[in-house]
This record gives sequence, structure tokens and C-alpha cells, in this order.
Amino acid sequence: MNQTPVPTARPGTRPAPTGRPGPAQPPHPGSVSRPGRIRRWRQKHGFWLLLMSPVLLYLLVAQFYPLFETVRLSTFDHRLTSPDPQRFVGADNYQHLFTEDRNFWRVVRNSFLWVIGSTTLQLVVGTTIALVLNQRLRLRGLWRGLMLIPWVMPVVVVAIIWRWIFDGQHGLANHYLTQIGILDEPIVWLGSEIWVWPVLLLTSTWMGSPFIALMVLAALQGISRDVLEAADVDGTSARQRLMYVTLPMIRPTLFVAGMIAVVLTWFKFEVIWALTNGGPGFATSILPTYVYTQAFQRFDFGMAGAVAATAMLIILIIAGILARLFGRR
Amino acid sequence: MFRDSAAKTAGRYGALAVVMGFILLPGLWLLVSSLKTNQTIFSSTPSWWIEEPTLDHYSWALGGRGLDMTKLMGNTLIVCGLTALLTAFFACLAGYGLARYQGRGARVAIVGLLIAQMVQGPMIMLPWYQIAMNLQLLDTRTILVLIYQTMTLPAAVWLMSGFFKNVPTELEDAAQVDGAGRFRTLVSVILPLTKPGLVAVGLYAFILAWNDYQYALIMTSSSNTRTVQIGIAQVMESMGAQNWGGILAAGVLAVIPVVVLFALAQRYLIQGLTAGAVKS
Repeated sequence: MNQTPVPTARPGTRPAPTGRPGPAQPPHPGSVSRPGRIRRWRQKHGFWLLLMSPVLLYLLVAQFYPLFETVRLSTFDHRLTSPDPQRFVGADNYQHLFTEDRNFWRVVRNSFLWVIGSTTLQLVVGTTIALVLNQRLRLRGLWRGLMLIPWVMPVVVVAIIWRWIFDGQHGLANHYLTQIGILDEPIVWLGSEIWVWPVLLLTSTWMGSPFIALMVLAALQGISRDVLEAADVDGTSARQRLMYVTLPMIRPTLFVAGMIAVVLTWFKFEVIWALTNGGPGFATSILPTYVYTQAFQRFDFGMAGAVAATAMLIILIIAGILARLFGRR
Repeated sequence: MFRDSAAKTAGRYGALAVVMGFILLPGLWLLVSSLKTNQTIFSSTPSWWIEEPTLDHYSWALGGRGLDMTKLMGNTLIVCGLTALLTAFFACLAGYGLARYQGRGARVAIVGLLIAQMVQGPMIMLPWYQIAMNLQLLDTRTILVLIYQTMTLPAAVWLMSGFFKNVPTELEDAAQVDGAGRFRTLVSVILPLTKPGLVAVGLYAFILAWNDYQYALIMTSSSNTRTVQIGIAQVMESMGAQNWGGILAAGVLAVIPVVVLFALAQRYLIQGLTAGAVKS
């Protein structure tokens, strides 16, 4: 379950607060004595804030602080292999990455290839799965449950499955593809800088589309039958209904699901690492795996921080552009 | 509604077959292959039929002379169990707060949770590793349980607050009229009603922790703390093509707990997960 669900309600759309009416607001705050005000504030806010505070504090310390610490690290020369203490170097790490590192731009390009290919496929396949499962079928609940299996599988096991299917010598893929004549001879998929990509994209699609399908399915079930029947009466074809009724109606869901998929895929380290370790060479390295390479194979935390910070900056820009393009219309 | 023609029905089930084939066959191939003898695994014409089923690969995977999955699973079980308990406890508190709180802070909290859900992996890895090093917590189960909270809590709080919102507030008012304090009300009136939700959230956290690869990869190394995923990944790197059977069997073993737990929690999780996504 790696493509974790996200609370997606926007602040404005939060369901109307239920709950106790609470003590009436004093008409003029100034006219109430101080202790009374504090007591009232505590009655209204105190208990709930107290309940939320452990989690909120933890997220602050365990996630938001590390975020800033990562950016701070990127401006330091900090190598675990050298005995020298950290030293502030300003933009040196970035400069090195952008101008001297031979792999960096390739890694950036791979990241874009990965995020565009993977999310597009996930959205298309996920929506298709949802449309198929939204029809009148026996045992629909069972199919929906089974559909989610790839999504809850550990990424390492997923890697085993697809490495085995695409094994160069004994893999099922080579066997079938040569049998039906598409391939003349077996391919060592994971050993080839080009052929490794289809395997990666197929794997991430297999793993990621069930979650998209789940969200789209929920949206599809929210479309009232009347609308579709009205379109049917108007004499539209099934294809027209899909293009002009169904898809526009699930558009907001597709947008949310797409945004989540883009951000999560951009930072997804595990699928690629479990499948290829970013290889062969750096052929499938993306920014997150490059962070790992820099930090835990070269022990250069400053450089790793710079890679991570660059990744964050790029995704902020992408998310902003996507929100502008598709968000409000 | 009107009845469909036979051709339409066939088309629907044909499409279903294609989708289910894509989703289920790869996993089935893992299972089938893991039960074959080494000879048939590596035969030049792979077959879906198992000639002589064998459990040899499973005994290799479980045994101390092989991968020692028994020990790995024990380690992982402790870590995941603790993660689930802690997550359920704190998500319960915060979820209740979030469900009932009406102040402006609620919005801030929701946005915070949303961002926290996205802030994962490579963005926080480096400082976490350093903190772990400084606190001498590297290669311990404690650090795993701690870092797993960052991936489980945001969605868990959100899920729990959804469950609490379904409980009518009249119940709390009634309990308070009866003289119960707010904590008392939560524990003895509200919680029993949201028990399924609490269990679902616990299972959710357990599954996430069980499936984790990236954090265990940087935090653990010794055989005492290694998790299932790390153990399998290491064997895959070191033995690769020589012992496919054992690796495949280990994969099956690693996936069983997840599928079973997910089947148990499925209904509640799907309800909670999709509710937020669709409303917005």
C-alpha cells in the first residue's frame, strides 16, 4: 500500500462542523473579565487542541523540521567519510551538481520520463479498470477487492514478480514474445538501458492503477443514473456518453488522483530501487534514487541534500503549473 | 432497466476477464513458480501446470540455514505491531479532536496533515539518519517504529476523524448530562462505537509498516533488526538468478499477511479512503 491515500478535502469544502453548540460568544469581548475569557477559550478550544497536539507536534518535529534540515544540509559540505566538521559552502553543492556532475542532468531527464510515463499510464489504466468494474457484473464487490491486491503488495515482492517475469533467461515475457514472433531472440530486459524502461513503467502501472481505479470508481458511483439515462434517451452512443457525460463528471476526481499520483511518483524511490537499483549504470536513476546514491553510497550528505532540495523545487513548480492548467475550470 | 443483449453481456465479462487477468496473473505466476521443483522452474517452456508440486523452496525460505524468514518475520511483526498500536492510539485522540473541533485551527491541521502525507522518503531521509546516528538509534527497532509514524499518522488521523464524524454528537451531550467528563465520554461512549474504525486504522498502519522498504533500507543492517523486505531484497541482490525458487517462495510468504489483513479491513478502509477523495 505504497500509494497512500491522502485526505483531499479542501479547507473550504469541509463538511459543516457538527458538535456541541458551545458557549455563546460574548457580544463584546472586551467587556468580559480576563479569567472568564480564558476559561471560555479553553472550553471551546482547549480540549480538542489537547487531543490533536501530540500528533501535530510529532509531524512538526518528524516531518516539517527534517524538510528544512534537508535544505539546510544542501548548503553545507558534509561528508560522512571525512573527519572535518560540516562547513558552510553556500551554493557550491548546487553548482557542482548543475555544471560538473556528469549524471545529474540525465537523472533529471529520467525523473521527468518516469513521472510523465508512469502517471499517464496509471491514470489511463486506472480509469479503464474503474469503467470496466462499474458495469453491471455479478460479484462486483469481490472483483473490486481483488483489484486492490497489487496495491497492497510489498514493493519488494512486486519487484520479485516482475523481475521473474522479465528474467532474461527463464522469464515468461521472453518466452511468450518469442513464441508469437514479436521478438526474434530473448532480451535481457533489466540489463538494457532501453528495455529496462518498459518493465519499470509496466510495474508501476500494475502497482499504482488500482488506487486510481478505486477513487474513480467511487466517483463513478456518485453519478446519478438519471443523467446517463437521459443521455441514452437522447440517442447518444456509448462512446459519446463516455466522452461527454461520464468523463467530464469525474474530472475533479481525476484531477485530484492525478495530482496525488504525480507528487507520489516524483518522490517514489522504492519501485525503481527494488527493481533496478537505478541501473544499469544510471539509466533508471531518478532524483530520489540519486539522493540515496549520494547519501548512502558516496556518504556525501551535503550533495544528497542539494539533490533532494532540487527535487522539491521542481515538483513545487510542476504542481503549481498543473493546478493552474487543470485545477479550476 | 431494460435487458442487455447476450453480446453486450459477453463484452462486459470479456472486459472483466482482461482486467482481472492483468491484475491477478502476475501474482499467480509467482505462486505457481514457487511450488515447482528447480528443474521445472528453469525449463525452457514455462508451464502454468505444476508437474510435481514441492514445498522445498518454502522450507529453504523459512529455515535458519536458508533465508530464515521465521526470524525476519518475527522482527517485522514486533515493529509493525508497535507501529499499529501507537498509530491507532494517537490517531484516535487526534482524529476525535479533528472531528469535533470547530475553531480555525482545524483547517490548519487538515492542510498540515495533507502536506505531511506528501513529505516522505527522500525528503526526510537524511536528517532522520543523522538524528538516529546522534541518538545511537541506528539499527534498532525503535527508530523504525518512530519513522513509520510519519507515514502512517497523517492518513490515519484523517480516517479516524471520518469515523468519529459519523457518531452523532447527541450521544456526547447525553453522556455529559449524566456527569461523564470528556475523556470518560470518549473512552466509554464514543470508542465502542468506532471500534471497527480503530481496528481498520491499526491494520492500515500495520500493512504500511510491513510493506516499507526505503526506511528499513537506510536504518537497519544487522540480522536482529532486519525486516522481511530487507532480508528478501538482500537475497535477491546476492543470489539473484541462482535461487529463484527460494526467492519466489519468500515473496509469497511476505505477501500473505498483508493480503489477509487487508481482506479483513478492506470494507472500512475503502469507505474512509474514498469519502475524502470524492467530496472535494
